[in-house]
Amino acid sequence: MSVEITRNTKNAITIQTPMMPAAGTFGFGDVYRDIIKVDLLGAIVTSPVTYEPWHPATGTKVVPLDSGVLVHTGLPNPGLHKTLKTYRNLWSMMPIPVILHLVATTAEQIRKSITRIDEEECIAGIELGLNDDISAQEAVKLVETAVKRGEKPVLVRLPMLDAYEIAEAVADAGADALIISAPPRGTARDPKTGKLVSGRVYSPIVKPMVLRVVGQLMRRLKEIPVIGAGGIHTLQDARDYLEAGATAVQVDSVAWIQPDMLEKIARDLGGKSVTKETGAFPDEWYPGMGDTEREKRRRGESFKE
Amino acid sequence: MKETQAVIERIKQVNLGYQRIELSVDESLLQIKPGQSILARLTETWDPYLRQQWFPVNLLNGKLIVERPLSETYEIGQVIHVLGIIGQPFRFRKTLRNVLLVAYDTPPIPLLMTIPWLLANKVSVTIALLGVATSYDTQHLPPEVEVELGNNEGEFLWQNQVMTLGWADQVFVTVGPDNEFSRFANVIERVRELRHDVPRHYLFGVFQQLLPCGAGACHSCMIRTDEGTALICLEGPAFDLTQVILR
Repeated sequence: MSVEITRNTKNAITIQTPMMPAAGTFGFGDVYRDIIKVDLLGAIVTSPVTYEPWHPATGTKVVPLDSGVLVHTGLPNPGLHKTLKTYRNLWSMMPIPVILHLVATTAEQIRKSITRIDEEECIAGIELGLNDDISAQEAVKLVETAVKRGEKPVLVRLPMLDAYEIAEAVADAGADALIISAPPRGTARDPKTGKLVSGRVYSPIVKPMVLRVVGQLMRRLKEIPVIGAGGIHTLQDARDYLEAGATAVQVDSVAWIQPDMLEKIARDLGGKSVTKETGAFPDEWYPGMGDTEREKRRRGESFKE
Repeated sequence: MKETQAVIERIKQVNLGYQRIELSVDESLLQIKPGQSILARLTETWDPYLRQQWFPVNLLNGKLIVERPLSETYEIGQVIHVLGIIGQPFRFRKTLRNVLLVAYDTPPIPLLMTIPWLLANKVSVTIALLGVATSYDTQHLPPEVEVELGNNEGEFLWQNQVMTLGWADQVFVTVGPDNEFSRFANVIERVRELRHDVPRHYLFGVFQQLLPCGAGACHSCMIRTDEGTALICLEGPAFDLTQVILR
């Protein structure tokens, strides 16, 4: 089964399994390789990358929540040039497409970044992460710049709360796909320091909220693939997004707490959950159907072995 | 790193506040060394969401021993979902003779696995318990370990401090997790006051930040060093405090 996750242009991205890890939850493709079969995933979305290096945040970066976690990393990364230098070989050997998650707040940063990324054959597409408080006008300007500047497909990850307002504008600006959505932002009190901390919220509880946004927007958006992302923790969660109209899904923090769930979801959505042994009779998979007994009688064999 | 299951084989109270749990673990976890840890998940539900970081205190007869507070309830036969091994072993000097372990406002559990290893290698060990760590009962520790108690007012101070810091070839410090960076900054400041120089690979901070992934995927445990950045879950938990940018 192959799925086109971007608009049908000359560089459209086609994946074999409609799921991929979300940006910021899977490193740069270099982690979890000992735990899961990465080639079962549809694609890899890298951790966020900026044109210039960004330092890690200071202070509390992780606050445990009831059935979830709030994370504020500051999106530390070594900058675009060093990231490409470090991971180019790894990405070139990946059997699945690599989508680079780009964080940029100005058109100039986007121009410089996309010019550089376009030279890299190992990158199949760019996922542009938009700020949470961005206006539709600013989003359009950034997306138009990205689309015009490069050849690679531009997927745009929308903030959850503003998705209703900016989705259509971003689609009209030429985005090749929409990711709905980035993990929502929240504020929680750090039990260790007693201070309030802001960051992104990862939890199964995010899924019903984002699923509604996806469902609502699917009615309004035409001819643009949508990737559902937020709070997926089970196989059914992932299927729910596809049922709501999403072309594929991105799986986030469950990768941290139960890494093998990524592979389970990939197998499930890729139609690989049931693997029948060659020559097996159906009743070995569905006890009670009696095919084995019938076959043995036909051959004249005793079935009291 | 692997995702495996462990089974609780035995539980024994070892002092007034802690119990030791003997775990049957996957063979891969028997390679664990002092400083390294596992991420444990006790339930099938999403609450608590994050795995707990468990620093083993010993490895005996093919079983991993962890120390947990008595306030937590465990049962023989209980299955624990484990992700590990996390981090790197402590980097001891080859010519090591004396080691100072310091627990400052936190139980000394991340440091305890070093003790049997160091004693077996004929290295003398002193452990200083400061602040809330003074309430940690040390009766179950080997008698060869010298214990120094500070006051319980949260100061980085104990008797014979100048002597023990001068005598130690290496120092490993763990601090209360409420404000690790600021506490480590105070520690290095204090040690610099007491020694005329703090050489490289002498004073190590053992970081205990929450690790959502433990695999280098989430980047939430990234710290700045004078050589760039480092991930506590991959390159820690111990870092040379003269190289970490703490402020």
